[in-house]
Amino acid sequence: MSVGSTFSMSSAAMLPGPDAPSSDSPDGTEVANGLANVRRIVLMSAPVVGVIAFFLIWQFGVKIFDIQKFVLPRPSDILSSINGDKSYYVRNARTTLWEAFCGFAIAFVLAMIGATVMAHSRFIERASMPLVVLVQVTPIIAYAPAIVIWQGFGLKSILVMTSLVCFVPFLINGVAGMRSVDPNLIELARSVDASRREVFVRLRLPSALPNLFSAARIAVGLALIGAVLGEIYAGSVSGLGYSIKLAQARPTLRMQLWGSIYVLAFIGAAATILISTVERFVLHWHSSQRR
Amino acid sequence: MSESHAVAVTDAPLVCVSGVSKTFRQRGRTVHALREVDLQIGRGEFVSLLGPSGCGKSTLLRIIGGLHQASTGTVSVNGLDADAARAAKQYGLVPQSPALVPWRTVAQNVRFLTGLHRGGASHPVMTDAEIDGLLEAVGLAGFTSAYPHELSGGMQQRASLVRAFALGAPILLMDEPFAALDEITRADMRYLLLDLWSRIGTTVVFVTHSVTEAAILSDRVVVMAARPGRIAAERTIDLPRPRNPAMEDAPEFHEVVRFLRSDLREHHG
Ligand SMILES: Nc1ncnc2c1ncn2[C@@H]1O[C@H](COP(=O)(O)OP(=O)(O)OP(=O)(O)O)[C@@H](O)[C@H]1O
Ligand SMILES: [Mg+2]
Repeated sequence: MSVGSTFSMSSAAMLPGPDAPSSDSPDGTEVANGLANVRRIVLMSAPVVGVIAFFLIWQFGVKIFDIQKFVLPRPSDILSSINGDKSYYVRNARTTLWEAFCGFAIAFVLAMIGATVMAHSRFIERASMPLVVLVQVTPIIAYAPAIVIWQGFGLKSILVMTSLVCFVPFLINGVAGMRSVDPNLIELARSVDASRREVFVRLRLPSALPNLFSAARIAVGLALIGAVLGEIYAGSVSGLGYSIKLAQARPTLRMQLWGSIYVLAFIGAAATILISTVERFVLHWHSSQRR
Repeated sequence: MSESHAVAVTDAPLVCVSGVSKTFRQRGRTVHALREVDLQIGRGEFVSLLGPSGCGKSTLLRIIGGLHQASTGTVSVNGLDADAARAAKQYGLVPQSPALVPWRTVAQNVRFLTGLHRGGASHPVMTDAEIDGLLEAVGLAGFTSAYPHELSGGMQQRASLVRAFALGAPILLMDEPFAALDEITRADMRYLLLDLWSRIGTTVVFVTHSVTEAAILSDRVVVMAARPGRIAAERTIDLPRPRNPAMEDAPEFHEVVRFLRSDLREHHG
């Protein structure tokens, strides 16, 4: 089944495209090295440049095209409104972060158990794949109300939604990763009569790490979707999703809508950067980490 | 046979393959990978399986190693069948690709197989000091904390050799271990392998499709032919040991190569 590739976005895709010049230039003159260094620094700062350019265009676009603050406020206004109400955003961000984190963690643990079973049994893998795909393709928004009816208002429903959306990428990538071991290594292990458990622990689990990191980067966004959606549907009284729901209903809270969006984006970006950093450290041996 | 070689080839064969056939089913068709193969390999002998692509060299090697099941016929190793011999850790495998564990250093990689469950082993693995000695011998002493991706292909293959020798297993099975290397590196690797082998004196079954390689390395060359896979001829190589690159220019060597070539040509096509 080719479902695995759906989620195997590699971190290489997020890095600047063309090969950075290698630092050890053949004739090694200082000028050439200096130039190479400058080019590397320019390439490395490209993502920051992109983000800053986006916000500058937004900032001045609003002014130039004379868009009403009511429709689209300027980034500077949004930031200063967040700054003016810090404790409010911290409180609600903490709620949402906690929900997202718990859902993420529950999904990870359950998916690893599922992936282990599926990696050991082709039958179980094939039998459960249709269900996994169903969960993946059915929009969570559609069955969120059903979950609330089933689990009631409150944290439980939110966690069910959050972990449900994170579960599939972890599961599919986990299985694909566990199966991605170099067949030569499996044969080597077989040649010394290694047990299945040893092959699993020493070869399959570590081989799954690159896929699991890819899954984690995808699951960060999904966990936030789950948490916000949960807060909107499951009758929360705090959290950034709740804050957005309130703001949508009241024109006077328009800045709060944008403030919550910004804080959510910040949380997602920070978590992604954190995961990528850990990944670079843990997967130093993997080709995705080479530039 | 040379006197310098530590382990004498005794009369009782270590590996005894008799009447082995192997058929595979490929998209409804039956492929005769091997038909009626008989082969005996003595203790401490270096035997090469030489033949064109698809003649069943890898299949025969895998059957000897208990990694494939023969369709008919038997394999006995030290009096055990191949599966029991595998359970008794009789084999060290060197595949065509180095197949090092990418998240382990060289030092950890060469001990990777020795570290796997040793229950039922009939012999001890090498000690840490002995393994370090092998790393030294293959020129990897300075790279013990490097990761595979930091090594050249030749260095990776040297680590793979050390990993197999480190098992202390009586039989080493090598499936075209040098095929992916460039010609210059490959030439070095052959003599390096002979050096390790003469230190440790295990039995080696070596698959190759290079006539020169078979002539340089082997005590005996088993020439195979395809469709169906079978043994076409066997030649004992009487070149003196230890062998060295200068020998490749000697007329005796060219003689051996010519015989092997004609064996191959005679049964090809
Ligand atoms: N697992 C398998 N399933 C089906 N057919 C196979 C399998 N392994 C080998 N064969 C077939 O058996 C025959 C012998 O294959 P084998 O790999 O032993 O050849 P070889 O001599 O090692 O060739 P090469 O030099 O290319 O490695 C080939 O026709 C191949 O297609
Ligand atoms: Mg082969």
